[in-house]
Amino acid sequence: MPYHLFKCSECIPERKEHAVIKGPGETLADALPLGYLNTIPGTISERGCAYCGAKHVIGTPMKDVIHLSHGPVGCTYDTLQTKRYISDNDNFQIKYTFATDMKEKHIVFGAEKMLKQNIVEAFKAFPHIKAMTIYQTCASALIGDDINAIAAEVMEEMPGVDIFVCNSPGFGGPSQSGGHHKINIAWINQKVGTFEPEIKSDYVINYVGEYNIQGDQVVMDDYFKRMGIQVLSTFTGNGSYNDLRGMHRAHLNVLECARSAEYICNELRKRYGTPRLDIDGFGFGPLGASLRKVALFFGIEDRAKKIIEEETARWKPELDWYAARLKGKKVCLWPGGSKLWHWAHVIHDEMQVDVVSVYTKFGHQGDMEKGISRCEEGALAIDDPNELEGLEAMDMLEPDIIFTGKRPGEVAKKIRVPYLNAHAYHNGPWKGFEGWVRFARDIYNAVYSPIHELSKLDISKDEIPTDKGFVTRRMLSDANLPEEVRDSTEMRPYSGNFDCLAGYEDREYPYMKTQPAPGAAA
Amino acid sequence: MEELRKERIEQLVDYIMKKCLWQFHSRAWDRRDQNENILLKTKQILCDEKVALETPADRCYWVDAVLLAEAYREKYAWLEGLPKEEVADIMKGVHERMDYLTIDGSLNQELTDQHY
Repeated sequence: MPYHLFKCSECIPERKEHAVIKGPGETLADALPLGYLNTIPGTISERGCAYCGAKHVIGTPMKDVIHLSHGPVGCTYDTLQTKRYISDNDNFQIKYTFATDMKEKHIVFGAEKMLKQNIVEAFKAFPHIKAMTIYQTCASALIGDDINAIAAEVMEEMPGVDIFVCNSPGFGGPSQSGGHHKINIAWINQKVGTFEPEIKSDYVINYVGEYNIQGDQVVMDDYFKRMGIQVLSTFTGNGSYNDLRGMHRAHLNVLECARSAEYICNELRKRYGTPRLDIDGFGFGPLGASLRKVALFFGIEDRAKKIIEEETARWKPELDWYAARLKGKKVCLWPGGSKLWHWAHVIHDEMQVDVVSVYTKFGHQGDMEKGISRCEEGALAIDDPNELEGLEAMDMLEPDIIFTGKRPGEVAKKIRVPYLNAHAYHNGPWKGFEGWVRFARDIYNAVYSPIHELSKLDISKDEIPTDKGFVTRRMLSDANLPEEVRDSTEMRPYSGNFDCLAGYEDREYPYMKTQPAPGAAA
Repeated sequence: MEELRKERIEQLVDYIMKKCLWQFHSRAWDRRDQNENILLKTKQILCDEKVALETPADRCYWVDAVLLAEAYREKYAWLEGLPKEEVADIMKGVHERMDYLTIDGSLNQELTDQHY
């Protein structure tokens, strides 16, 4: 039977169709979990809301913008301490967070006047910032405040400022994914085509569905520039408001996270004829293939091959060092959406770990199709799991580590399963060749943490060994390794810097300088 | 003979399902378009035929086809000695199977949504 009903969910039988075990010889046509449906009453979902998906995932990574929530102050909780989509302008977008702070009296008497006052105050407080995004919340949507009208009024009164309005209240979809969809469509409808960007190369792309988590975008941008490719805009990590208004001028949309941003790529394809190319930025093999694909499109494959050769020579021995020590470790791959398919095959292929389960909180059935296709037989695939199902799955599968978000991650820790933050990372960036080694290092550090070993002992009943002293990760990881692996001179642990992004801003890009292509926009 | 053909088709399909993303666009019509164009171009590359590269969309299909054909040649040595018409026949089978797994036999309920 392919579908799996958790014992803890027997009282919610509808949950059965949300979990599948990938059986031998079975295909996607045999079983596929349901997905992107309203959460079943009675199950305590770990999902976010549609407002969160619009603002905290996609809107806020835009760097040179005042991001204002029109609602209660609590809605704008996620900022510097929870989000790690950094930017090269001193992280303005996560350092400062804005809310109109709606209260009960506003629900009764309306909050449009207060909204206008907030917008003007915010622009006056930060005169160097000329753009704003305003996000509707459940409260302002329910009372029917006309945010668009207020924004238009302010733009008329304050020439030089530009405002984008995103009407994606929390209840506007089954999960944060509803908000991804709404903001994609709102952005292309309201803003794309309203700004003419500067074209600096013959090869111009939009890098879409990339959120610069701990610097991922910086790393990928560097590869593109080394090939002479202009990243016209990044949707939206480290992205600039005006660059994103100019998305219509790119020659190609390179799509990373299809879950959150395929909508805008599809619309750009329909409205402007810009093709969509899906890529995988994680893992040596998929990343190399992705760089080659983008380069092939422009007829400059030799440039991609050179980068792949250089980066592989530098970092592969370090990846192999970790892979030798992670071989056979069991992983529950439990991220939000796209990483379940970005990582499912490549952590197995390149880090030698076994993916025993994949889950998605807000993914659609399309994400499950990709994830299930890529993971190994026997893996348990779960859509929108509740906390008890997560615990039952960990009890059943006994993973060595889980990759997930903060909330389920802390639950895992309580039952002595280490976790890595799949959304915000531990010591990122994890994209790029070096980044992939940093990810492997984080896995290694978590799996072989001596503190974690100690935490497995229950002082109320276990015998506490007194004959053992200090241990290190290396002592734990190398204990059973074959001598030729342990003493290999070919492989080595990570040798990069603590801050691996230092110096990127000073790099020179000969192709960007020597081969400018004025007026090359399609 | 039919068994061997089926086995070879499954090998090629498995590779796509595990390593590629292009077959999983979000709507049925889009998937049909992707399967048709990328697999046609892959067949043309494998059979040393001319590949049309007139439009940006063509180039986009082509880059995925180049990498797929390259991986096929590298991983499946049996392709090497096969007559071109047999390669074309196997690729036709791959196309049919991909259409079944990702569209006609797919359990994905969003495929027929009219909007993105």
